[in-house]
Formats: sequence, C-alpha cells, structure tokens
Amino acid sequence: MRWLSPLEPNNRHQGVRTDRFDGVGDWLLETGEFREWRGGEGETDMAVLFCSGNPGVGKTYLR
Amino acid sequence: MIDSLCDQGGEEDVAVAAFYCDFLSQEEQTINNVIGAILKQLVGRGGVAKGLREAFQKAKREVGGRGPRLADLMGMLRTAIASLPQVFICVDALDECLPRCLPALLECLRDIGRESPSTRIFLTGRPHVKEDIQRCFTKMVVIPINPNTDDIRNYVETRLDRDADPEAMTTDLRADIVRVILEKISDMCVGPFRISTPLVMHAYQLCHVDSSLFRSISALF
Repeated sequence: MRWLSPLEPNNRHQGVRTDRFDGVGDWLLETGEFREWRGGEGETDMAVLFCSGNPGVGKTYLR
Repeated sequence: MIDSLCDQGGEEDVAVAAFYCDFLSQEEQTINNVIGAILKQLVGRGGVAKGLREAFQKAKREVGGRGPRLADLMGMLRTAIASLPQVFICVDALDECLPRCLPALLECLRDIGRESPSTRIFLTGRPHVKEDIQRCFTKMVVIPINPNTDDIRNYVETRLDRDADPEAMTTDLRADIVRVILEKISDMCVGPFRISTPLVMHAYQLCHVDSSLFRSISALF
C-alpha cells in the first residue's frame, strides 16, 4: 500500500474529525443542490459539487 | 462531509475516498501520490488487489524498483471504481494543491467521472480555483460557503465552554466576547476557523474594555 502512495489522508481525516464542532455545516446537507448531487443517478452533469469559500470559513470542517 | 456520506450510505455499499490538499506538504503531494492515496482507500474492497500485486511485482523487478506510473494508477483506480456500486471522491482545498499538479488532478477526476457516471466528486477550495475546476467540469454545481452567524456563534460558544479558567468568566464578559468576534468576522470576510492573533488584537482595540476581555479572547485561540 505504501508503494501506491506514501500519503496517508486518513490521518488527516482523524484530526479533522476530532476538531470538528457538532452542527457546523449541517445546513449544507439540507440544500437542494447537495441532495440532488448526492442522489443523482448517472447524470454526469451533476457529478461534481464544488464548495467555494474564503480561508477559514470551515470548508474542511463541513460535516 | 466524508462521515456524512458514509452515514447516509446506510445499507448501500458506499465507498468514500478523500484527500486533503495541504500547502505545507505540497512537494509530497504529487499527482501520482494523490491518485495513489485515493486508490489506496478503494482497493481491498474490490477485486483490484490482484492487478495491484502484479503491477507491484513488475515494478520491483525493474532497476532499483520504481513507483507506480500515473497510467497504472489510473487503470487500477478505474478497475476499483467499476467494482464498487457507488463511489464518492472528496478532495479538500484544491487551492492548496501544487499549481502544476492541479490541471492534471482535475483531468484525472474528469476522466473518472466520464467513465463512471455514478461517481460523485466533492471538491472544496477558495473561490479563485473555481475557474480552473470549471475548465474540466463545465456543469458542476457550486455552493458558496460563507461564514454563517450560527456556525460562528456555535464555534465560539463551544470554545468558551472549554475555557481553562472558567472562574474568570461572567455572563457579560461572555456576551462581549461573542459580540466582538461576530462583528469582527463579518467585517473581515474570514471564517471562524481562521481567527488569528492579529484579529484578537483588533477585537481588543475595538471594544476598549478591560484587559480581562483581552485575556479571555486570547486564551480562546
């Protein structure tokens, strides 16, 4: 596995999970855009969701 | 996000692979390493293991051994994705990706999306990378993330609850701290996760109150 890549994104994920605050970003999960993207069936148009925001608005910490 | 996708997956067999781009590890985060890291999270679940072993053995026989080629990684990634019913790929902070790697990374993701239309790709980044992403995904959905007052309040309150010196806190002081931070953040268009020392100094000057407020705010961040 190390041969594939020396990077371990899971470690970072654990760190983010620990530092996350409950409820932050929950609103996103309720948006129509998110739901459509999440449940989209085979529509390539809807395959990509991009969350854009300034530094520190909490993009990484969306739950 | 990753945890929500996993939780919402429920009964379905949902595979989520995630990658966090990081300014501080840019040099390590080459396109091969990033694709490899995504692949690593998806193999073992599907039937890629055999192909992977073969590619590894072959590479080992070459002089000194070598890392996997991008084409090999992409091939294995395609196989892995094809063997799974639903795959989500999340890449955080594309603006922190090495500029020379970003176009290649986006192209790889685009190719995956084309071949496997059920794959869902979740990306985050500062607004300026939007155009780069749009070049590859003309019809992507964009959700702007703005500092949300409730999120900020929630964050500051939680930090205050964890205050190491709770005896020094009063209701008024607490209200002042929350107010000052909320005011300052909405002025500066930055989020609560980026509250820095200069901002704390600013907040202090702004409220002209006694030093206990300053100490309390400083202690938070």
